[in-house]
Amino acid sequence: MEINFLLFQLLNGLTEGMILFIVASGLSLVFGVLRVINFAHGSLYMIGAYLAFSLSTRFPQFTLGPYLLLMILVPAGIAAIGLLLEVTLFRRIYGKEHLLQLLLTYALVLVLDDLVRLVWGGDIRNVPRPPSLAGSVEFLSLSFPTYNIFILLLGPAIALGLWWLLYRTHAGNLIRAAVTYPEMLGALGTNVTWVMTGTFVLGCVLAGIGGVLMSALANIDLGIAMEKIIDCFAVVVIGGLGSVWGVLLSSLIIGVGKSYLSLILVRLAMVFPFFVMALVLVIRPWGLFGKPER
Amino acid sequence: MSEPRFSRKTMAGSAVIVAALVILPYILMTLGKRGEYWIWVITEMVIMALFAISLNLILGFGGMVSFGHSAFYGTGAYTVALLIKKAGFPFFLALAAAPLLAGAAAAIIGWFCVRRIGLYFAILTLAFSQLLYMIAFQWYTFTGGDDGIHGIHRPDFFGPVHYYLFCLAILIASLLVMRMITRSAFGLAIRTIRENSERAKFIGIHVQRYQLLNFIIAGAFAGISGGLITELNRFAQTDFLHWTKSSEPIFASLVGGMYSLIGPVIGSTILMFLKIVLQQIHQSLVEIWALFLGLILLLVVLFAPEGITGLYQKFVRKT
Repeated sequence: MEINFLLFQLLNGLTEGMILFIVASGLSLVFGVLRVINFAHGSLYMIGAYLAFSLSTRFPQFTLGPYLLLMILVPAGIAAIGLLLEVTLFRRIYGKEHLLQLLLTYALVLVLDDLVRLVWGGDIRNVPRPPSLAGSVEFLSLSFPTYNIFILLLGPAIALGLWWLLYRTHAGNLIRAAVTYPEMLGALGTNVTWVMTGTFVLGCVLAGIGGVLMSALANIDLGIAMEKIIDCFAVVVIGGLGSVWGVLLSSLIIGVGKSYLSLILVRLAMVFPFFVMALVLVIRPWGLFGKPER
Repeated sequence: MSEPRFSRKTMAGSAVIVAALVILPYILMTLGKRGEYWIWVITEMVIMALFAISLNLILGFGGMVSFGHSAFYGTGAYTVALLIKKAGFPFFLALAAAPLLAGAAAAIIGWFCVRRIGLYFAILTLAFSQLLYMIAFQWYTFTGGDDGIHGIHRPDFFGPVHYYLFCLAILIASLLVMRMITRSAFGLAIRTIRENSERAKFIGIHVQRYQLLNFIIAGAFAGISGGLITELNRFAQTDFLHWTKSSEPIFASLVGGMYSLIGPVIGSTILMFLKIVLQQIHQSLVEIWALFLGLILLLVVLFAPEGITGLYQKFVRKT
């Protein structure tokens, strides 16, 4: 029983870590290209989760089909919101002072979080798991929840997909060129503005996917935006911005660390990301995978 | 900012304003029940102004964006509440401890945060303030969790008017002290770092040490404001530590103008008025307070980043 329990907890931690990775990689990607830390990324994730809840109630029978439909509809919805925000707000502040950029996305958190409260209220919500993902898988005489396995398979698939997109496609070439030398990219005839918009929207899609996955994993409430963005910040501080593998590893560290510490004391688990973050700041201020700045 | 001392005009103007602020509660008192409410409102305004100028030491003056200033406001509030309620401290002693403990909290949090200035500083301050919030929320036996700490005794000689005057005196004293700080050699160094930290380093300024010290001073002043608000309301609660509380002084600094000492006071007062106006229109509007704050903040960032005082200088003074 003991070993079963510890393995189960490991699986839980990895699952949480994988969702964190999906959300945080969106934040990191947007920062890499636009040089803007989007504080509202956690709010977009939360809107994704609530949107999944609302849509799930529309289906009389919530089976695998509708669930997979949500996986497309919700990220598309968040992408649409992201597109609107980018074109109306973010586009005006690229290259401006950090102060203004930070204040703008911070103001957006105030607005979006309150809007979510207005639309969905303060009640705790959740999305049922479709029957085919609700059971458990027997392995080595241990049983694991199917839904967690599903997320654990989906996470690396998204990481690979992201890698493929960034390093094996034309769009990826453009995005990476926009990171290193936006002026030259523009001079070569590419519309850099729309490359940036596309990257921002892609980041929003990742937040949306994270939201859907979370909505059927645990209860959602108004606190999940702040909780997730703080965890994302911890990931970014620990792993260093811009490195995909840094984001993946530090997400898993936080997920698993929280999961095991919650066995001892729930409060200890909450403090864990801060503890690791403080430790990294003292030992390697530029992050485990980052490079020292100039 | 350029003249080294108060000009005669500024002196006369300030004297008139201070005199008006001192007389104001006595006029309000004649209004009876309604006047009492307004005295409470102006007291809160004075305290919030202190909170706003304390943040502006970091934000406008130091050029460091902190999203976690509620941490020190809340620390000050809980210090006063706990010392009076649990340790039986007299009011003045508890209030004197508020900036000390808030400053200590700022020293610890700042020690980590100043290692990464810029974007990281902003996310770290937010994260660590959230940590304090979670501790206050979870540590039920010590902080009362989300119930907060209620029924804090206030000395009998402190009527509403006296307490207002006491807070006003502290605000004015703080403004004078901050004026001294910003004009000292230390203040000059901080401004140099804001304008160009690289060059500041080259001319031998220990950038991180100066920024940390500035962060601690700002935290201590925020602690005083937190202590004062606890006494005014006679309770301390987790809201004081919540991240949305940090948005209020940011808002005040931005609306009032971050590059002047008095700007945040103006911004904070506008903010409080706005809150009251919303309350008068409909009680439920206050529940979406953050939405209003956020929307106005968005507009200010996009169209008037220099704030109201900036607009004033642009259109009225034409400097």
